[in-house]
Amino acid sequence: MIGFVGLSHLGLVSSIAVASKGFEVVGFHPDKQLIDDLNAGRLPVYEPGLAELLANSRHRIEFSEDINTLKRCKVVYFSLDVPTDANNNSDLSAFDEMIEQLLLHVSSGTTLVILSQVPPGYTRRWAQRLEQENAGRNLTLFYQVETLIFGRAVERALEPERYIVGCLEPARELPPAYAALLDAFGCPVFKMRYESAELSKISINMCLVSSVTTANTLAEICEAIGADWSEIVPTLRLDKRIGKYAYLAPGLGIAGGNLERDLATIQRLAAEHGSDASIVDAWVAHCRHRRDWVLRLLAREIFSKNADPTIAIWGLAYKQDTKSTKNSPALFLLESLKAFAVRVYDPQVTLPSSCLAGRQNTEKKIVQTGSALEACRGADVLVVMTPWKEFFTIDPCDIANALRGRVIIDPLACIQSHAWRDLGVSYHRLGTSNSREAA
Amino acid sequence: MIQHHQASPTNPTRVVLLGGSGFVGQNLSSHLQSAGIKSLSLSSKDVNLIHADAIDKLRRIIQKDDAVVVASALTPDKGKDIGTFMRNLHMVEHLSAVFETNPCAHIIYISSDGVYADGENPIRETTPTNPGNLYGWMHVAREQMIQYAAQKHQVPIMLLRPCAIYGAGDTHNSYGPNRFCRAALGDGIIKLFGNGEEKRDHLFVDDFSRMIIACLQHRSAGVLNVASGKSVSFFEVAELVARLSQRPVKVEGTPRQNPITHRHFDVTEQIKAFPTFSYTPIEKGIAATIAGLRKKEAA
Repeated sequence: MIGFVGLSHLGLVSSIAVASKGFEVVGFHPDKQLIDDLNAGRLPVYEPGLAELLANSRHRIEFSEDINTLKRCKVVYFSLDVPTDANNNSDLSAFDEMIEQLLLHVSSGTTLVILSQVPPGYTRRWAQRLEQENAGRNLTLFYQVETLIFGRAVERALEPERYIVGCLEPARELPPAYAALLDAFGCPVFKMRYESAELSKISINMCLVSSVTTANTLAEICEAIGADWSEIVPTLRLDKRIGKYAYLAPGLGIAGGNLERDLATIQRLAAEHGSDASIVDAWVAHCRHRRDWVLRLLAREIFSKNADPTIAIWGLAYKQDTKSTKNSPALFLLESLKAFAVRVYDPQVTLPSSCLAGRQNTEKKIVQTGSALEACRGADVLVVMTPWKEFFTIDPCDIANALRGRVIIDPLACIQSHAWRDLGVSYHRLGTSNSREAA
Repeated sequence: MIQHHQASPTNPTRVVLLGGSGFVGQNLSSHLQSAGIKSLSLSSKDVNLIHADAIDKLRRIIQKDDAVVVASALTPDKGKDIGTFMRNLHMVEHLSAVFETNPCAHIIYISSDGVYADGENPIRETTPTNPGNLYGWMHVAREQMIQYAAQKHQVPIMLLRPCAIYGAGDTHNSYGPNRFCRAALGDGIIKLFGNGEEKRDHLFVDDFSRMIIACLQHRSAGVLNVASGKSVSFFEVAELVARLSQRPVKVEGTPRQNPITHRHFDVTEQIKAFPTFSYTPIEKGIAATIAGLRKKEAA
């Protein structure tokens, strides 16, 4: 039996994926309400395919708020998502506490696996404590890299590219129960020392940020000189040194929390050890710069011409297929639009109360509508901040009819259409200049 | 990040303007008057900040409800040497002594984009200050001195760092729109450094005054670069001046003495703080400058 401690996004997706592979699973979380919801089939997170996967594996997974249920497990994963603060630093206090509690209740000989987002050095500190305080219980500790992607978490959990496992002694065989579990997913397993595994997760994210930032830098140059980044990208994907899956789509910086956390970790480690991580500082600054791309465009296209515009915004989530708004560019944008009336629509996310702050004594209301087109009614501009699938299918004529104005800002090109020109719409996306597009 | 101590714009009780006879000071005075804001404009003839007796004079003048705009400085045309640098520091040394004893409601210090290194792009409020000359260092030092003095009574302070300002009232005749306009109306020959490839942001003086007033009305605090966000080459400016002057004007290049550097501003923080503020297009600003110079000539 496999145990999971902490049923936030990571723990839920991982535990259900393991159950779907035929393992008996116990999911523990101290929140009774959460356990009641899960046992009733109500998932607190949105992830495509997760509800179906749970339904199919329901008979092999037990959700419980009783920590003693973990005594039956040969392998126990610590899978609580580690939150970050406003500066993207991890708050490990709840996670530490959960490990402390768990150690009091697991059986001797249990294999413990940290799956959560922890900084380099963290696993070894716990390994040393286990050696000092739990000698004789034969507890072994591993760190396993998680590569959860919000909105694609099920696919990633069921078909991992590889497993990266941090070990106290990498040369030794993994415990049979743990090895059998990993083997069920049919991918390579890389064993290495704890610190290498912890840093490899960060390394993956650093390479992604590097690609994204490079794409964004070049996309901005395209916007300035009349090139089109979308014409260049396919040529890069055919280059084996870059690759067909490279992160080359321009975007509004980075969001979601995990990439930002890893950048902050590297900045901290570099400062502590005197390494030169100035490139990371540059990435952070550039991501912030691109995050505000929509605001600058609004200033140029709307605020400079209309002192009292109404702005329609589609999407609050930081990306499609998730309810997460952590570091969402849409929320940062709303923070800067307090002087204007705003109509918002998102199929999953409810407008956070923080977005209402500072608007109580003003006529510039922010309203959340029940449909995408309703948000457009009477608006001078439409801004598409999250590429939800439903936006792709909306008829451009319906959008143009609902809008009062004739400006659409669609950074990620969700609703790109040849119809905009005929409809008299000024359409803007990342990576190209509007003037060239219209030409 | 800019913090507005007044969310809704409200006129200050009174504005004490130091440097009231300068290019910016005169223009601001006129805008304050048009906005119905009570002001007291002081020039070096009224209170010479270089002399220590300015301390007592200002202590008698500055009241706790006053907003103080510091537009007083010896500009590079008055000297780029150590003596000028020190005189500029003494001016703010004396002023700081006043702020330490006389709390006021708000301070706006007119600094300069000269606090940034040449060739740094794009310039943001977070760009480290690293001036290439004593004039820039003077502003860096004065910013620190005034902030230190204002801290004692926790007076909100706004540091404004404008790019090069142009307008008919300018007396400095530095390279750029002002000199080009005068040349166009004078001998009709605009001389460029090299072929005028360098791109710069040019700030119309009326816009700067409007921005200062917006800061006064919000009691804004923080650091703000004041620039339009659109940089154009000196060649484009010269061509524009030639066209708008409506007389035969020759734009001439000269052998390049220095490498080409550009300066662009990322004005995102400005948009966040003042989303409805808009800048005069350079074409209109230059047309107004030419008209102003012609009016002066006629007078």
